[in-house]
Amino acid sequence: MARNGKAKVHPYVPEIYEQFKKGEVDRREFLRTATLLGVSATAAYAMVGQVTGESFAPKARAATPKMGGNMRCSMRVQEMTDPATFDWTQKSNQARQIIEYLTVTGTDNVTRPYLAEKWEASDDLKTWTLHLRKGVKWNNGDDFGADDVVHNFERWLDPATGSSNIGLFSGMVENVDTGKKDKDGNAVMSKRMISGAVEKVDEHTVRLNLRSPELAVPENLYNYPTAIVHRKFDEMGGDLSKNPIGTGPFEQVEYRVGEKYVVKKRPGYWGGDVYLDGITYIDHGDDYSALLNALISGQVDMVYEVDITQIDIVEKVPHLVLHEAVTAQTGVARMQMDQKPFDDIRVRQAVQACIDHQKLLDIAYRGRGAVGEDHHVAPIHPEYFALPKMKPDYDKAKKLLADAGHGGGLKLKIDLGSADKWHADAMQVMREQLAPAGIELELNIMPGSSYWEVWDKTPFGFTSWTHRPLGVMVLNLAYRAGVPWNESHYSNPEFESALNDASATLDVAERKKKMEKVQSILQTDAIMVQPLWRAVFSATSKKVAGYATHPTQYHDFRKVGFSA
Amino acid sequence: MADVAADIPKREPLILRILKSFVLLRESGVAMIGAGIIVFWVLMALFAPLVAPFPPNATLAPMLPPFSPFDGPEGGTFWLGTDHIGRDILSRIIYGSQTVLIYAPIATVCAYAVGILMGVVAGYKGGWWDDILSFVANLILSFPVLVLYVIIIATVGASGINILIAITFASAPGIMRIVRGLVLDLRTRDYVAAAQTRGESSMWIMLVEILPNARGPLIVDACLRLGYVTITIGVLGFLGLGLPPPNPDWGGMINETRTMAQVFPWMSVFPCLAISSLVLGLNLLADGLREISIKD
Amino acid sequence: MLVFLARRLAYMALTMLVLSLIVFLVLEFSPGSIATKVLGPYSSEEQRAIWLEENGYNEPLFVRYFDWLGGFVTGDLGESIKYKVPVNDILWDRLANTGILGLATFLVMIPLSLTLGVLAGMKEGSFQDRSISVVGIVFTSVPEFASAVLLSTIFVFGLGLLPGTSGMTDGFNFVELILPVMVLVLYDFGYVARMTRASMAEVMTTHYIRTAVLKGLPYRVVIMKHALRNALIAPFTVIMLQINWLLSGVIVVEFFFAYKGFGALLLEASLAQDIYVIEACAMVAVFVAVSTQTLADIGYTYLNPRIRFS
Repeated sequence: MARNGKAKVHPYVPEIYEQFKKGEVDRREFLRTATLLGVSATAAYAMVGQVTGESFAPKARAATPKMGGNMRCSMRVQEMTDPATFDWTQKSNQARQIIEYLTVTGTDNVTRPYLAEKWEASDDLKTWTLHLRKGVKWNNGDDFGADDVVHNFERWLDPATGSSNIGLFSGMVENVDTGKKDKDGNAVMSKRMISGAVEKVDEHTVRLNLRSPELAVPENLYNYPTAIVHRKFDEMGGDLSKNPIGTGPFEQVEYRVGEKYVVKKRPGYWGGDVYLDGITYIDHGDDYSALLNALISGQVDMVYEVDITQIDIVEKVPHLVLHEAVTAQTGVARMQMDQKPFDDIRVRQAVQACIDHQKLLDIAYRGRGAVGEDHHVAPIHPEYFALPKMKPDYDKAKKLLADAGHGGGLKLKIDLGSADKWHADAMQVMREQLAPAGIELELNIMPGSSYWEVWDKTPFGFTSWTHRPLGVMVLNLAYRAGVPWNESHYSNPEFESALNDASATLDVAERKKKMEKVQSILQTDAIMVQPLWRAVFSATSKKVAGYATHPTQYHDFRKVGFSA
Repeated sequence: MADVAADIPKREPLILRILKSFVLLRESGVAMIGAGIIVFWVLMALFAPLVAPFPPNATLAPMLPPFSPFDGPEGGTFWLGTDHIGRDILSRIIYGSQTVLIYAPIATVCAYAVGILMGVVAGYKGGWWDDILSFVANLILSFPVLVLYVIIIATVGASGINILIAITFASAPGIMRIVRGLVLDLRTRDYVAAAQTRGESSMWIMLVEILPNARGPLIVDACLRLGYVTITIGVLGFLGLGLPPPNPDWGGMINETRTMAQVFPWMSVFPCLAISSLVLGLNLLADGLREISIKD
Repeated sequence: MLVFLARRLAYMALTMLVLSLIVFLVLEFSPGSIATKVLGPYSSEEQRAIWLEENGYNEPLFVRYFDWLGGFVTGDLGESIKYKVPVNDILWDRLANTGILGLATFLVMIPLSLTLGVLAGMKEGSFQDRSISVVGIVFTSVPEFASAVLLSTIFVFGLGLLPGTSGMTDGFNFVELILPVMVLVLYDFGYVARMTRASMAEVMTTHYIRTAVLKGLPYRVVIMKHALRNALIAPFTVIMLQINWLLSGVIVVEFFFAYKGFGALLLEASLAQDIYVIEACAMVAVFVAVSTQTLADIGYTYLNPRIRFS
């Protein structure tokens, strides 16, 4: 607590601490919120310790790795031109070894300092002050400072960069009329950074001025396209792979797209001991069995991902360890509520009534994960409210169908991509579950890239959604009328006002109560069948120490090494 | 080989001819084995609902892990075990034969229809017809076949119809080459000249006089090609571009379960055996038929 | 001979021209915009519009085709959409790798299948002939993907003898070639062996071989000196055409064993509709097809002096 002693503590921290003591807020949510509000992880864990009596620090790693060794990891090696436009986690994992983020969210969901040493939020959560670490040098000798960070925000929030960060920091962006008209005569709108949204206070302090309150700013700063590049990045050609200038623990040695990516330990790294001498990413293609075969035969020390179908193999090979992470990654079989036959809520509810979610999880994902509840808020989300368990009810389904005029049976067709095999498995099990009610489901499986052409257009489609730390984040992105990712064309003013209400509530215990309404409206409107929340897996050789799967599969190898 | 077609056979009742060809088959043990395997799979496909112990898509064994062939709940309920989502593999293989035996022959027939037409026209008409058609055929043939399938399927999407189109498109040129060669050879024969002097139209000559006499080598080629198409459908399934599930298809079954082959080998090994046996049957039949035709 | 080569060259150029145009058209009219592929499904309409404009996609199709053609003629193959690097940077390494795989396969397969074919064809209808033929047919009937799955289960997981992938990450490694070559040889040797057998059997029935045998020449001499040379003409053509087959035959193997070759590149490019990579690969395929055919024709003439170019 010493380091934070001098800094101003956000007024909400004592409040949530009281709630935590009373048991209204759980440990995980307290840790997350307190650290987001600028309390250091050590201090936050200490505060938890005072209540629960557990040790101050997060659980010590099983074994301290020895110095040295080269880690070989099987993962796609993709292009890595501009970190701000990354659309694949794999790309960010390559870059993550040479460039760094302002914050880092650990596998325990707690956000810790990284290039930002500490941060403070104003009481209204609209002004954020980031104190940058001093003495950090780029590997070309330049000093890291406020100019770098300001430049990064400017380029993220410039639409010409094409970065998805522009959506992440929407509180710093305004809509402007470009003066052009589109074909229908409507004004073409563009986004730009509100002037003064990013301020350089001094060489090592940056202030963010937001239009609207936002709690998750530090968390967003670890989202994969927010790695900090050099202030002259664009002048140097705007291509990280050609000009690999970074503050990170490693330096690029060799980069062969589609084949391998090699980095070696960099002298003079600011962040203390780094165990590995180097890392080699090896591209084994899209075939999971190739990845695992490479690991089994010792050609690599770890693989980026193990498919759910392969976990039994990993468990059978004595020299391998399976790493599992519970996530809020999921997939939803969503129905567009303005398309036939789904414009009739009875049809959607009939589909929902056939589903045995537990069985879906058990069969399609071998029971590894959590049961879906058709409202897209995961049990691991801090604001999750536990609604009553859903049960299949074929009588109800048949009655709803008959009422809707489909008593003689109903034929449906669902589009899905072939990239993730569990999608097809889940939909096949769902098909079997729908059959007894007289619903005949046809699966239209297409190549992954083709599905992304239609994901927001098809009346009935199965879309995967990635892990996000808060449930309301996805609800805001996907279930508000008119937002770009609203693939179900869902529109319900009652839902939105409930969601507004919940989103604006900072008080965690209070927000949780308000989520009951949000979740149950979404569930009753039956716009999706959400089979499951999935766990993700990776595997390493037993020699690897200090590694754990991150829920978003980020590779932070600063403290990973080989066991002595 | 072309001598097979030299003498014009007299028309006999269909049944008699079929019987005769079976008698002919008896001359070659290899052909008999091949035909036996094929008949076995055809019977499986025809009587699948009677033979298969379970519905092919039902998730029967939700309890994990899946059952191997030897440890079903009542000691071997599932003869070939269950797959990763608890479906009976034996039933899926039996029903899967329907898929293969519908798609492969239809695709082959389509490819033949197009290929024969192209070949007969090119061979009989000659001249610029021949030049253009041969160029088109060579154009397609100069491109790796599998890549052609992949591009077509990846572009237009995987469905039964698209797979038929892709196979027709990619196989027709090869057939056209064979037919063209045969026609070039046959059209110098006396009976064609006779038809020409009779004043028959060239279409009539092509279809009635030339085509039936080219059938010997074509039947052998058809058997081989049928086997090849079966493999191709499997390869497309293996690459994730095959027939859309859930209807069982052997290649797709392998693709779905091969990542588990190390611990649950039965899931992919039995479909592998099924595909291989059918292709083997076709290849053996082709080999036997060629032998018989040479003996004649 | 020169005229023959010139004609083949002209034919190759024409084929390339037509095929490249077809590939261009097919990919152009395929569903889905390229911008979505490049920028990802979550990109906004605005980003896509900017990208299309910047990369010249608002130009008419033929302008872009001739741009590409102009580049192709001068050796510039364009830039990969997926990898964002010039196609030249990736294509040739991949092709060389496939060349190595192909060479290794041929080094094993040709001696094996020619020996088996000759042994079978020497005494047509004998037990030796029958068993070789049947074994050949059986192996040809097992698809590559099936044997790949089975062999890797046995040798990688079961016995732990061989490496599971063949990426050649630390330079050339002979051991990594074993499984891919094994799969390819098992699938293809039967075919070449049967072709050799047929050719050998035919030669054995010719008059001069019979005469030679009747003259009392040792059987071995007859086979080695007289029969083989004539019997190997047909397999030579078949083998040349196998080079062409290999170009697509390696796709499954390269995919399964993560071998960084031409087939894997082409498969990935087709799935991502990476247009310039596909175009470049298509041109390579045409080149290989036409040149192997030409070599087969020339070799045929050389081996069989009775045929002359007219």
